[in-house]
Amino acid sequence: MADALDGGERFAGAWATSTGGWRIALTRGSDARVLACQPADRRLDTVVDMVGAAVWDEREAHDLYGLEFTGHEPMRALIKHPAQPEAWLTPVTGPGVHQVAVGPIHAGVIESGHFRFHCVGDRILALDTRLFYKHRGLERAAEGLGPDQALAYAARACAACAVANSVAYAHAVEDALGLEPSMQLRRQRTVLVELERAYNHLNDIGAVCAGVGYAAGSMAFSALKDRAQELCSQAFGHRFMFGTVAVGSGALTLDAGAADALRQRLRELRADAGAAWRDLQFAASLQARLEGVGVLEHDRAIQFGVVGPAARASGVLGDVRTASPRLAYEGFTPAIAPRGSGDVASRLQMRAVELETTWEMLDELLAAPLVAAYTSQRERASSLGIGRVESSRGETVCMVELDAGLITRLHLRTASYANWPAVAAASAGNLLPDFPLINKSFELCYACADR
Amino acid sequence: MFVLLSQLRSLRRSTALTRGSTPRWLGIRHVDAGSCNGCEHELGLVTNPLHDLQRYGLDIVASPRHADVLLITGPVTTRMVEPLRIAYAAMPTPRLVAALGDCALGCNVLGHPDELAGPVERILPVDIRIPGCPPTPQQIASQLLAALERPADSGQPLAAATAVAASGVRTDGERIRD
Repeated sequence: MADALDGGERFAGAWATSTGGWRIALTRGSDARVLACQPADRRLDTVVDMVGAAVWDEREAHDLYGLEFTGHEPMRALIKHPAQPEAWLTPVTGPGVHQVAVGPIHAGVIESGHFRFHCVGDRILALDTRLFYKHRGLERAAEGLGPDQALAYAARACAACAVANSVAYAHAVEDALGLEPSMQLRRQRTVLVELERAYNHLNDIGAVCAGVGYAAGSMAFSALKDRAQELCSQAFGHRFMFGTVAVGSGALTLDAGAADALRQRLRELRADAGAAWRDLQFAASLQARLEGVGVLEHDRAIQFGVVGPAARASGVLGDVRTASPRLAYEGFTPAIAPRGSGDVASRLQMRAVELETTWEMLDELLAAPLVAAYTSQRERASSLGIGRVESSRGETVCMVELDAGLITRLHLRTASYANWPAVAAASAGNLLPDFPLINKSFELCYACADR
Repeated sequence: MFVLLSQLRSLRRSTALTRGSTPRWLGIRHVDAGSCNGCEHELGLVTNPLHDLQRYGLDIVASPRHADVLLITGPVTTRMVEPLRIAYAAMPTPRLVAALGDCALGCNVLGHPDELAGPVERILPVDIRIPGCPPTPQQIASQLLAALERPADSGQPLAAATAVAASGVRTDGERIRD
């Protein structure tokens, strides 16, 4: 493991199997490989000292598959919800230290999850997030199904990332089956992934406005997001583009007229979004709240294995779109943060910058009609496949294990899962009333993490 | 600010939303009991300028203590049963329960049976059913209104009236609140 990391490989997730096996995925560029072992007595050495990003993976394997990790101390509960506070809370003591409990039910229309703040006055010393209230056992439910049926479980993990998760799953199965997508298939999937990114980024910009109570911005971007989803519905039949991704093929079609109409509507949306974004720059009550808040330093972003716009806002360069031969991202250059300060301002700006790239790409991709597309057999089938997609929140990795044509293990490690630990880290030291803003600046899915 | 407000104004003009009729008010508290976040995204949009649910006197409130309707999404995971019951118990009466989306109604790709305790009607009495995966903001708004906009003094019991409303056919029913 240490050799792999020294050799420039990146940790991309780890998962246990029902027979007590342990797998670690490593990537370098577009290459991915898996280290597999079958530990005796379900006990093995931890890697968290080398890979901070593996903390949640090990805790999950402990809770769900009973693996024991020597050296992972203390092994706090992640998915199980034990009643004793010491089983999952960070011990924080001292004069004036008190706890503030929030959730799992929140005051707005927000997903369920519990936050336990350790505070002195209004200052957050530490934050324990207790998620997985929404754990539906989707991965386990997919076991024993054929690849086509199991797709629904990857897709329904999260609506807002349904396309990214489905495409990652399709890539993983196609990787295992030795299938290579045609250029047309790459193109149509890229259109879907980028449309999903567009409406999510519009949503997330509005969310930051909502986080400071700036209603004009939040309403304007909510309406823009609504319009973007309506375009998805008109072009592909569903506002979240459910049912548009299949394993091994792509049935989407868009004739020249429809593609051009979508292109024109997207241009109008782009112009309106650009005007709304410019207006936000002059909203002093918004701008005054963003800088220096919720800072995720460069080193810590690397330590926690943070991905996506949140990582890039902290100056960590990395975007799976530069290494996605299964999608149409030839010549893609990731946007560089105008400021790598890792604060709320930087994460907000990052989304606006990336939105521009997305509009550009969609404009280019929709210059030709979309036609039904297929995969071709490239190499022999194997029992394991990995798929990676840059969702609007960052790198989403899907791993599948197959036996006799059926899924024996499906694991989805979404960008939200990778980034949740960083939310707690970025909140420490900030004021409690700024937490909604900090949280919104990451805008992670609970459903994606909980599965 | 100027551009945002003029964009919002022109949206209001182009969507030509009608005003609600009689003055009234219904508070809705949302509880996510394990959804895929789709219903939340759509529910979040019903208060935006394109749909503007508040003009009908419907609004999302922060606490179950202020709510007339408990609006539940998701298939109800084992970990959300208890918080859901606590929220329901905290509501003043009379109160209504709305199941939002196919998962809450128990007819979707749900998950592993070991992790689920739902659908909603196994845990709480459901008055309003809003199907869809996810229902669009338009569908959410119109279904909630169907439950609300019933002629007064019909003497029909509430549960029966809302069942009719949920089926999309509006007949006489009891008024929930003046």
